[in-house]
Amino acid sequence: MSDKVTTAEGQACLQGLLRTWFDFERQLSRVPIIQRLERGRFTLEDHRRLLCHLRQQVIEGARWITRGASSFDRDFADVRSLVIEHAREEHRDYEMLEADYVAAGGEREAILAAERNAGSEALHAFMMYRAGQPNPVDLIGAMWIIEGLGQKMAADWARRIDAATGGDGEHTRFMRYHGDNDDAHLDKLYALIDRLCRGEADRRAILRTARVVGRLYALQLEEVDHEPA
Amino acid sequence: MSVYITSTGHHLPGEPVDNARIEEVLGRVHGKPSRLKRRILEANGIQTRHYAIDAEHRTTVSNGEMAALAGRDCLERGYVPDPRLDMLSVATSQGDLVLPGFGSMVQAELGLPDLELHTSHGICSSSMMALKAAYTAIRAGEHGNALVVASELASRLFKASRFEAAGATPDFDAEFLRWMLSDGAGALLLEDRPRGPSLRIDWIRGISHADAFPVCMSVGRPNGRGRFASWQDYPSYAEAEADGALLIRQDVRLLDRLVKLGVDGLLRLIDEGRVRVDEVDHLLCHYSSHHFRGRIFDLLTQAGAAIPEKKWYTNLYTRGNTGCASLFIMLDEFLRSHELAEGETLLCFVPESGRFNNVYMHLTVVREDTP
Repeated sequence: MSDKVTTAEGQACLQGLLRTWFDFERQLSRVPIIQRLERGRFTLEDHRRLLCHLRQQVIEGARWITRGASSFDRDFADVRSLVIEHAREEHRDYEMLEADYVAAGGEREAILAAERNAGSEALHAFMMYRAGQPNPVDLIGAMWIIEGLGQKMAADWARRIDAATGGDGEHTRFMRYHGDNDDAHLDKLYALIDRLCRGEADRRAILRTARVVGRLYALQLEEVDHEPA
Repeated sequence: MSVYITSTGHHLPGEPVDNARIEEVLGRVHGKPSRLKRRILEANGIQTRHYAIDAEHRTTVSNGEMAALAGRDCLERGYVPDPRLDMLSVATSQGDLVLPGFGSMVQAELGLPDLELHTSHGICSSSMMALKAAYTAIRAGEHGNALVVASELASRLFKASRFEAAGATPDFDAEFLRWMLSDGAGALLLEDRPRGPSLRIDWIRGISHADAFPVCMSVGRPNGRGRFASWQDYPSYAEAEADGALLIRQDVRLLDRLVKLGVDGLLRLIDEGRVRVDEVDHLLCHYSSHHFRGRIFDLLTQAGAAIPEKKWYTNLYTRGNTGCASLFIMLDEFLRSHELAEGETLLCFVPESGRFNNVYMHLTVVREDTP
């Protein structure tokens, strides 16, 4: 058994989350910009466009996490503390992302003026809605996908981007930085799974939110090639 | 209708070749010892393997002959005489000839009359596809028995002269498999009834992910951004070889995907109720390298679906990685070396990196006292 998740419900939930993640990774591999990245056909312009489209979600991510924290009542005060701490660590990450965009040859004004794409709109709306529900335990499903992405960016995407664009790490700092912190974040997530998944209803809600977030995140990345940058 | 494995066989050509002697057989590219060899061998853990070529690069036994020897070994240990065989189902990654199908050559070599023939094409999982074709034919009542053979002769791809023909020193992706793959064949006899101690095939399930991921292992694919997409697009085969398009390549950066997909498939089967982790008595997993055994085990542990390491069986380290033949050779040696009790269960797993096809199989030991 996993030494990090100990309850039977937690284990069942973790197995479901892993499967949801693997399915999400396959979805990602079908998205055109990620296909270009994985096949080494990724340009600096692709990188700037990707950062532009990721930025809104990074900004909004900090908002739904803090809103989610406020939706946990006093029976979940311990959870609230963990979520607030997590939000505090990440809520200005987008500034690093903007600096990467400039390092990749972009104009700061351009990224500041960028709007949410259709996928980001849907993801943001869904997350703000879920985060506003009383005791939104299913948020760990969303955190699972977003933290997993942080690790994937650090362990895989950043290296591929630098290799394809001749970069030396200067314009992939946001992605790399995530990897440094996400091991600790994942450990906290494992603890939250044990704490929050106490029955089938919790598990179904967590897995459903994870699946929806994955689908909408993939949509957000699909939109990179659909909307003008 | 249940289907049973009632006999097994194998053929491993020549004497075992240890790590120190690999380059004596395969040769040194441009006369120089490999710089990658030790690192790759340390990771895969293979100690000995067999080659169907000698140090002069003469083929000592063809792929078709090896398949036939394994098939004959299996038939001689079974109860079905040649004329009563209903079906021959055969797999290889690369036959001796491009055409016709490998199965035709194996049938002729074995001298088996009037049976239904199937050849499956692919890499490591092709044997499981051949097995599934035979299994479903028996389940459907089309046939009462089938001989399934998987055979590989990879070493012909690894002769030093192949790399020299492609010009400069091989890159990592082209050299990687040189220290991984070797030759051999395995065979299984399927029947619609058990014979003494037999293995009932409970199910075989393949899950392919080619739509989601790029090619990971290939032969015939030009490396780089040239004009051609296939070795057959070059004006001459000589130009394809000179361009490195005939080298066998592994995109090693993609291999971790295979591990995740393998674990994903197992979790899927657990979810469907087909696998209960605590009821698996033996796990026979065709991992290509010791390195991946650890990765698979860690991920399964993380998912709370670990199968204790004492239940894992492999003969990879002594028989080598024989591609599609591996699982059959493994199963054959497992049965010869273990006394199994009725009701014990085996979970078999063959992941294929080619373009990500994973096949799982569940077996239960049954006994029929009067064969």
